[in-house]
Amino acid sequence: MRRVSLGSRLALLFAACTAAVSLGAGLIFSRASEQHFVELDQQLLDSRLSLFRTQLAGITTPAELQARLPALRDELGHQADLALRINGSDGATWFESRTGLPPAPLPDGLATLHAQGTDYRSLAVHLAQGAPQSPQLTLYLDITHHQHFLQGMQRLIWLTVGLSALATALLGAWAARRGLRPLRQMGQVAASVSARSLTTRLPVAQMPEELAELATAMNAMLQRLDDAFQRLSAFSADIAHELRTPLSNLLTHTQVTLTRPRSLEEYREALHGNLEELQWMAQMINDMLFLAKADHGLLVPGQAPLVLNDEVDALLEYYAPLAEDSGVQMLREGEALLQGDRHMLRRALSNLLDNALRFTPAGGQIRVTLGPGPRIGVANTGAAIEPTVLPRLFDRFYRVDPARREGSSEHAGLGLAITRSIVQAHGGRIRAECADGWTRFVIDFTEDR
Amino acid sequence: MKLLIVEDQARTGQYLSQGLNEAGFATELATDGETGQFLALTGDHDLLILDVMLPGRDGWQILQAVRQAGLDTPVLFLTARDAVEDRVHGLELGADDYLVKPFAFSELLARVRSLLRRGASPSQDTTLGLADLRLDLIRRRAERAGQRIDLTAKEFALLELLLRRQGEVLPKSLIASQVWDMNFDSDTNVIEVAIRRLRLKIDDPHPNKLIHTVRSMGYVLEERTE
Repeated sequence: MRRVSLGSRLALLFAACTAAVSLGAGLIFSRASEQHFVELDQQLLDSRLSLFRTQLAGITTPAELQARLPALRDELGHQADLALRINGSDGATWFESRTGLPPAPLPDGLATLHAQGTDYRSLAVHLAQGAPQSPQLTLYLDITHHQHFLQGMQRLIWLTVGLSALATALLGAWAARRGLRPLRQMGQVAASVSARSLTTRLPVAQMPEELAELATAMNAMLQRLDDAFQRLSAFSADIAHELRTPLSNLLTHTQVTLTRPRSLEEYREALHGNLEELQWMAQMINDMLFLAKADHGLLVPGQAPLVLNDEVDALLEYYAPLAEDSGVQMLREGEALLQGDRHMLRRALSNLLDNALRFTPAGGQIRVTLGPGPRIGVANTGAAIEPTVLPRLFDRFYRVDPARREGSSEHAGLGLAITRSIVQAHGGRIRAECADGWTRFVIDFTEDR
Repeated sequence: MKLLIVEDQARTGQYLSQGLNEAGFATELATDGETGQFLALTGDHDLLILDVMLPGRDGWQILQAVRQAGLDTPVLFLTARDAVEDRVHGLELGADDYLVKPFAFSELLARVRSLLRRGASPSQDTTLGLADLRLDLIRRRAERAGQRIDLTAKEFALLELLLRRQGEVLPKSLIASQVWDMNFDSDTNVIEVAIRRLRLKIDDPHPNKLIHTVRSMGYVLEERTE
């Protein structure tokens, strides 16, 4: 089906409405004037008929009629558009003032007839009122000019209908064009959006009420696109930046190794160096892909009932050797239950513990607090972190000390970002706080999940 | 043991083939889907390693054809795709395992060996051992050179894994997954510390060391003659 533009559609609808209204009005008018003519004719015929009745009163045979014919003809002579016919009760025609009249007899009353190119209104009555055996008088009125007038008026009505429809179609098209201007504006904005100009927004305040909602929705869409695009750009920039160092190491190392012949041991050493660099890169790319999936809402955690105390104990057992080596005490307090994805939550908590172990000095303590409700706190003793830095801890590649990452085995700075993604995928929130010599990460899972 | 590798990236295929050959497997390499499917259906392979994206027929189609032909050869998928639905799709079609690129060869090797072992009946051993090291699985006791060694539960589990797969290089991720049920790559050195502690008990008092570090790849339990 061909698509009709909104403007033409509106114009056509306007035209159809006008045509229907003017047609209705015309029909009512034409019916009313016809009715009016009928009434006028009836009045005329009534008054004439009573006159002829008086003139012809008492006749019962055609012979009696002959005597009164001169007066009758005289009377009829005054009115060129009138004609009279008299029939006997047996139907025989006694008198006709004119030839070519419609055939008689007719039932009593008013009728509209047509004979030999002429329109008549006729009124038939019996000479003596209420006596069917008395002769019948039928008076004919020539109404051709009325009919002409009515036909002319009908033509005029059709013409009006046509013209007004055309006029409203044109005016409607113009009005629709004007009225739909905000829509075109929207189209222009949408057309001008590209990766470079995602900041363009529709002026919602200037939009008509009906379009404001659409405009708001479109602005929200632009905002989401913008956010996603920003994230994507940051993602590519981060990747490029983070890969630069290890790649440059690999290039240099490999080229230097190949510049002259070396011992087997040196080659092996070089390959090992490269391997470490490559493993670091692979790990980082996998982590980045995990984060990208989370960013795009593709991280769908499983929903299993979890006893968090057991999960935390397993993790503490896993980290126990490392903690003992660093002289850090780890303990769990409280209990909690949660619906969630076991592997993901283990990963999230493992990153928090890993982070805590990194920053807890020997002799310090790491305390995992569960509850009340679905809440997990991981706190460690250690140097205070600047309050302004706390929210940034969850940014990917953020490191408290930027100079820290030299040498590839160092942490990539994605652990806390991954933890946050996992927490968010579970509908929870995570924050970091620092007070009284403790650094504390608190995860809140909303109760209603 | 004969393996079929279907991989359209020439280098990847070549490296995998070389690596698996040197690890003691016979390999056959196909570089497109059609050939891959033909070989998978006609050759007698113990394991199929399929890339998902292939010219001609993709890995999933090959897997379907193989399963329809009534073959239950284990299938390991290699893919650069990492969408959850892909994973689900592959496993629904009857894939046995999944490795997402980039992966470490040691990881692949460990998985290949796991899959090949799966078919064999589980060992009924009640004791495991290497050289003068003995592990009694029923009484949960370890001893070396007749000396009883006290191990924590996790140390015991770690040693059991190393003994069961002696001679194989076990990547850290595999150890973390099998012993601690931590199924994610993490860059902590927990495994290093755990291995160091196990060594302290198993190897340090003895001149003949059994636990060896394969640099950047993992750990292996074997008897080496210096």
